[in-house]
Amino acid sequence: MRVLVVDDEPLARRELRRLLDAFPSVQIVGEAGNIDEARAGIERLSPDVVFLDIQMPGGTGFDLLTQLDRVPRIVFTTAYDHYAVKAFDVNALDYLLKPIEPERLATTLRKIQSPASSPTAAATDAPLEQLFIRDGPRCWFVPLREVSVFSSEGNYVRLSWGKERPLLGRSLVSLEEKLDPQRFFRANRSQVVNLDFIQQVELGEGGRLYVQLRDGPEIEVSRRQARLFRARTAI
Amino acid sequence: MAYWVLQLLGWGFYFYAQASGEVIFASASWEQASTLWGSVCVAGIGLTHLLRWFVKHHRWLSLPPTALLGRVIAGTLIIATASYVLTIALSQEVYGTPVPPITAAFYQRLSFSEQLRNLYIIKVLLYAVWIAGYLAFAMLRHRYQSELRQAQLGKALQTAELRLLKAQLNPHFLFNALNGLRSLIADEPVRAREAVTQLARMLRYTLASGDEDLVSLERELEMVDDYLALESLRLAERLRIEREIAPAARTVRLPSMLLQTLVENALKHGIAPLKEGGTLRIAAQVVEKHLVLQVVNPRPPEDTKSPSEGLGLRNSTERLRLLFGTRASLRLDLSQAGQATAEIRLPL
Repeated sequence: MRVLVVDDEPLARRELRRLLDAFPSVQIVGEAGNIDEARAGIERLSPDVVFLDIQMPGGTGFDLLTQLDRVPRIVFTTAYDHYAVKAFDVNALDYLLKPIEPERLATTLRKIQSPASSPTAAATDAPLEQLFIRDGPRCWFVPLREVSVFSSEGNYVRLSWGKERPLLGRSLVSLEEKLDPQRFFRANRSQVVNLDFIQQVELGEGGRLYVQLRDGPEIEVSRRQARLFRARTAI
Repeated sequence: MAYWVLQLLGWGFYFYAQASGEVIFASASWEQASTLWGSVCVAGIGLTHLLRWFVKHHRWLSLPPTALLGRVIAGTLIIATASYVLTIALSQEVYGTPVPPITAAFYQRLSFSEQLRNLYIIKVLLYAVWIAGYLAFAMLRHRYQSELRQAQLGKALQTAELRLLKAQLNPHFLFNALNGLRSLIADEPVRAREAVTQLARMLRYTLASGDEDLVSLERELEMVDDYLALESLRLAERLRIEREIAPAARTVRLPSMLLQTLVENALKHGIAPLKEGGTLRIAAQVVEKHLVLQVVNPRPPEDTKSPSEGLGLRNSTERLRLLFGTRASLRLDLSQAGQATAEIRLPL
């Protein structure tokens, strides 16, 4: 397991290193003292797990996550901000309280290593599996296979994910490149739909298609894209 | 709600008893009896309601017992008299005699004037019972509510005290310091032992300080030095410190934890969020019979002033105002980009 340690305090990094040394399966590939170093480290080293402090100079651990394309497995380490972690809707996240108890650390590492654990960042050319999104005061790890539609709103993208409609701070074009082409399809200029959510397809005028989504709106597939759509889905 | 239910039930019962009594014992017609007693009861509701308004509006329940008793007696006599006059007038109108037939039947052995006198006594008793019942009920409720309020107040006070204590102990700092210590124990045991002593001294000072306590600047600076030594362990080379303390200032007495609060703020909101850190400058001098304390620190450019910073400084300002009135001041100068200057002026 390749681990990156992110904390602004040298003493805290040293302490965590010492604690992790006790686990032979853990290989510490790097350290970072602020979120810029951390982002560079994650992109360069693509670690499996990041131990991430929350309060850091230049931005919080949450800020770092929103800047990442591929979010590795995150374990927050915090002295007193665990309320912040709990308050956020950050699903599937671990946190360790500093000073860290060795037994708690062992439990956390076991959980990460178990096969049932959620997928971590794989090879960089593999499609995105999940996104970290912060919209206002709320944060989510959004599993992309659960998103039915991505809608462009200016330079942002609105996700339709269950009852939530979080806004992602990047353009639809840049996001589309990283999505799984087997699952997601560009329906028109401003929308990408999840094929798994399609319930019904209707023919419209001039070769257009209308796609009805499960518990969702009807999406128009433009004429140009409709041909591709037919080829893809063999209708 | 309970008031209106009881009011209507009580007067309804009184109306039925009087009117049916008059029909049965004085052979009056139901129409006559219900006209007389119906009007008397409606007037009774109006009069007692008026009395209740007085009780509430003039806060009779908060009065001392003797004052309350005087008012209750006066009120009872006034509305009893009003009701008495009305009853006589109505009886004259309906039956052609001022004494209602039921009263005449009840006191048939008494003379006419004695019947009139007894009618008045009955009225007084009736309204006395009403007001006694009303006051008993209202006082029980009053006591219950004030007990409830007391309990809520006590709880709110406890929560506030607890929050203050938490803020003073600065848990974020404390746990980070302990974490650093854990690391230090293995690498630099001598420094670790020193740090434990500093932390212990800091905690003792924090716990011992009360709102009204004045300490010498010398003593407060010891606390600040312990704190800065521990923060230096965490922030390492990112924290640089400059002190400029005039000898004359050292003996001046100031509220405890005052300088400490400013220094904590400077680190928390100024230096700690900066990647490259910065220099904290503490200056103290005596100018025109005033102690002037200055804490200067760099701060992040986009100063998002967090609410906790406001709270810490507001508490300090409030303490200064209570202790020194307008002779002391605390101001935070953020006019220069990238720098914060906190200045306290205290009379000697």
